[in-house]
Amino acid sequence: MIGRRGWRAPLVAVVLAGSAALAAWAPQKAGTEPLPPELEARVQALGKQIRCAVCQGMSIADSPASMARAQLDMVRTMVKEGRSDEEIKAFFVERYGEFALLKPSTEGVNRLVWVVPVLVFLFGLGFAVYYVIQHKPKAEASAAQEAASEDPYVNALRSEIDR
Amino acid sequence: MISTIGYSFVLGALTIAAFGGLLGIVGGLTRRESVYRWVRLSAVGFATCMFLANLTMEVALLRRDFTVSYVAQVGSHQTPNLFTVVSLWSALEGSILFWGAIMGAYLLAFALVYRKDRTRFLTIALGVMLMVGVFFAFLIAGPANPFRPTAPQVLEGIRLAGDGPGPNPLLQNHILMVVHPPMLYLGYVGMTVPFGIAVAGLLAGEMGASWMAPMRRWTLIPWVFLSTGIILGGWWAYTVLGWGGYWAWDPVENASFLPWLTATAFIHSIMVQERRQMLRVWTLVLGLATFWMTILGTFMTRSGVFNSVHAFTQSDIGPTFLVFLGLVALVSIVLLGARGPLLIARGEFKSFASREFSILINNVVFAAFTVVVLGGTVYPLIKEGLFDKKISVGEPYFNFFALPIGLLILFLMGVGPALPWGRGDAKSLRHLLPAAGAGLFTFLTSLGATWAQVMEKASAIWAPMTFGLAAFVIVVTLREMFLPARVRMREKKEDVFTALVQSIVRARRRFGGYVVHLGVVMVIIAIAASRTYSSHASGTLKRGESMTLAGYTLTFTGLRQGREPHRDWVGARLEVTGNGLTSKPGDTSNVILPRSNFYERSTDPVGTPAVRSSPREDLYVSLMAFDEKAQTASLKVWVFPMVGWIWWAIPVFGLGTLIAAWPSRRARIVSDVVPLAAAAGAAPPVPGESAPPAAGAASGGLAT
Amino acid sequence: MKRWGLTVGFVVLCLALLAVLAKGFGKDPHEVPFGMRGKPAPPFQLRDLTTGAPVSLEQFRGKPVVLNFWATWCGPCKQEHPVLTWAQREYGDQVVFLGLIFEDTPENARRYLAENGTPFPQLLDPNSLTAVAYGVAGVPETYFISKDGTILDKHVGPIWPDRMTAYVKALLGKGPLPTATAEAAP
Repeated sequence: MIGRRGWRAPLVAVVLAGSAALAAWAPQKAGTEPLPPELEARVQALGKQIRCAVCQGMSIADSPASMARAQLDMVRTMVKEGRSDEEIKAFFVERYGEFALLKPSTEGVNRLVWVVPVLVFLFGLGFAVYYVIQHKPKAEASAAQEAASEDPYVNALRSEIDR
Repeated sequence: MISTIGYSFVLGALTIAAFGGLLGIVGGLTRRESVYRWVRLSAVGFATCMFLANLTMEVALLRRDFTVSYVAQVGSHQTPNLFTVVSLWSALEGSILFWGAIMGAYLLAFALVYRKDRTRFLTIALGVMLMVGVFFAFLIAGPANPFRPTAPQVLEGIRLAGDGPGPNPLLQNHILMVVHPPMLYLGYVGMTVPFGIAVAGLLAGEMGASWMAPMRRWTLIPWVFLSTGIILGGWWAYTVLGWGGYWAWDPVENASFLPWLTATAFIHSIMVQERRQMLRVWTLVLGLATFWMTILGTFMTRSGVFNSVHAFTQSDIGPTFLVFLGLVALVSIVLLGARGPLLIARGEFKSFASREFSILINNVVFAAFTVVVLGGTVYPLIKEGLFDKKISVGEPYFNFFALPIGLLILFLMGVGPALPWGRGDAKSLRHLLPAAGAGLFTFLTSLGATWAQVMEKASAIWAPMTFGLAAFVIVVTLREMFLPARVRMREKKEDVFTALVQSIVRARRRFGGYVVHLGVVMVIIAIAASRTYSSHASGTLKRGESMTLAGYTLTFTGLRQGREPHRDWVGARLEVTGNGLTSKPGDTSNVILPRSNFYERSTDPVGTPAVRSSPREDLYVSLMAFDEKAQTASLKVWVFPMVGWIWWAIPVFGLGTLIAAWPSRRARIVSDVVPLAAAAGAAPPVPGESAPPAAGAASGGLAT
Repeated sequence: MKRWGLTVGFVVLCLALLAVLAKGFGKDPHEVPFGMRGKPAPPFQLRDLTTGAPVSLEQFRGKPVVLNFWATWCGPCKQEHPVLTWAQREYGDQVVFLGLIFEDTPENARRYLAENGTPFPQLLDPNSLTAVAYGVAGVPETYFISKDGTILDKHVGPIWPDRMTAYVKALLGKGPLPTATAEAAP
């Protein structure tokens, strides 16, 4: 979030610390005027999907860094010009590569990152069911037990109280 | 001078840990139980050395002794003493030193709790923990040595400047930084103990039921610290970073979430293991994985490989960590491969409609969640490593999975507790009816109340669904918590108070667990409400102008500025009216002052948003930009309903865990070899019994 | 046999994960990819800091352009100022040098340049739209644009004379493009 805008700035600041002239901070600007609500909603929605170039994994809609503000201003300008969401995303990908998209595409190898969790979940479910069936009690034993406990919950409560 | 003293304590800790670790493992394996005394002493010695090393560093920090390299890195005369004390964990080397102290504290606690017992099992367990201590002591002594003498040119630079650089401004911006990292570390480091127990069990071939309860308890303690640390981290982000969010799925946040996921799954699956003698290998896998994840998390934070706000700067400790990660994984997997097959499940599954099956599904969901978080975090590295292409996996990806998984977890939290162990039947399902009714009712009412939003944005449907499921869980949970008291009143004719106290005391684990569940429900409701129903506005105000949002009117009355020893600040004074707040002359209770802070070390100002908190909602104002000449302020304003409930869940977690994990006199470990008793899994188990169940005694361990 | 297969499988999986993590060493996770290399330079129409006259990239067509993004709040930018001054003196007759002020106030820039000299025209970029169009990811960054208006490359971080010379030679067709855009700072 705190931008790395000043390239190696912190390091240099350490070296120069104390030289009073250093007291220079990036002046923060306000973003451009918001568009009418329905267009501004598009700006914000797009902003959530685009990664701020100097921040650490934050979107340009969230980050308070001025680079993020500049990038969001660009999105706003493009929305105002009537460009489509795809065009705007392509604009950022052209400049910063796929890195600019916070949500990986569903193409090529990237598919793995979408599919694997689902597969793990389904496999887990299947295995759970298999595990239960495999460990089913023998028929006669369970019948005997069932007779002993008509309501296991109340039984359990009683046995707790009796202790 | 002070460098030498501190460093010798570190070397002392390293030597003692290496001695005790080797002695414990070798002595334990060769059945020389008499060495336990020495292993215990080593743990005490290790802890003492680590405490003294930390104390030395604190002295150096407070004296601003810039001859110590770590002080030269983070010290400054301008920093207030409180932040100087906590700057111990504000940079890499210090944080690992602090880590050592916490590890010492855990080992000391373990050695004290088990001072009377003298078993092979304990000997090996403590030995394994000390070996982990060796690794951290080695890090502190070598690659991350904070006591290194400062390089002459750096010292010269500080002398010329008259002062050191001071800690990272983000970290001295808020008091939460004082408590958040120690909580996380207590969570991370504490997982060493269950790891030691699990490895000892596998090594010694004794994973008897007698060890289940202590292992669960030693996991619960770090678990609650980890939960607290994670939530406090979110709170810190919320109050400091100024973008209105508390969780960004940043690699370091994920790193703390991963062990939490596996530890939570572990706490649940261990119940199945205790009661049914099943899922034994799986439970161990979770226990070992949790420790591995904590090391992975530390690696992520400190290796400089990941891009994150929380990450420390690049360092050379990465390779050392990687070797240790590999070693831990190797030992764990090989041990599991060698001994796992001996841990045969003895119990049986009677039905799908049972508590154990619901826990099994819980584990599947948590495993899938772990895969999502781990995969999403590591995937950019994989892609870059294999295809040399940089990509991002961010919030939209994680939210896509987290939402359905969260709802599934909520659903299971309702169904699971309502199902009995063993076999559920029509009757037990009938208990669910009132709860399901309450859930449906809540869903429909909240859907009706927010119909407009749902029509506008289809994704707004998730919030009413969450509320419905939450109501379902709350009804089920409260019933489970207080039904035993009612039964007691009826059957034993006790008065309300006695019945309540008795039912809680006799089933503390169960009761405490449900308290924690209620805390989780609180968090989930708060997340759903604050995300779905937040409102936002931004704009630039001239003096005297105002803006409105969600019933609040904010009037800008001018810029203020101030100077503190370590920073200058500019704030926008705003009067808030509306929603019950009125402007009275002379009364400043409705005045807020979002600020920008200027630190010498940072070129970007660090904001301090102004937050007006109430149980209903938070008004959150960030000062984005200002112009002193024109007296304008650019603001971002949010209203987040119920967001504070997330942090207020911390005491609920704490209380629940305290109730559940408070040591009980009955549950002492007597010995590894438990006498054979009643047939396994025969008697209907008692919910929430705190002693190891008799049924479990049948498993003397995996000794062949 | 089967159980060892599983064990070995997991060991391999773990080692693979660790290998991936190990590959991450030595790479800067903060490095932002740059996709504009070899692409046409986005046109701009900006105002000069001192004269207020409009300046566009178009008007320099036919001459190579060196575009430097900087700000007064950025230490490394101040570090490279003498290098840029030198470069203008050395190559100013063959190459057009332009400065673009990134996220800073005109007053700050004027004050700094008054003290340290204004070697070449400085342009104001309100809201930094031009910087975003060029794919800037922090300052200082120096872009090298060929005669026909193509971005040859950009240099990230403070630039040093040897690198500047190499780039200018490449722009003039007198030498190869320097490899590795990473910093070559001492």
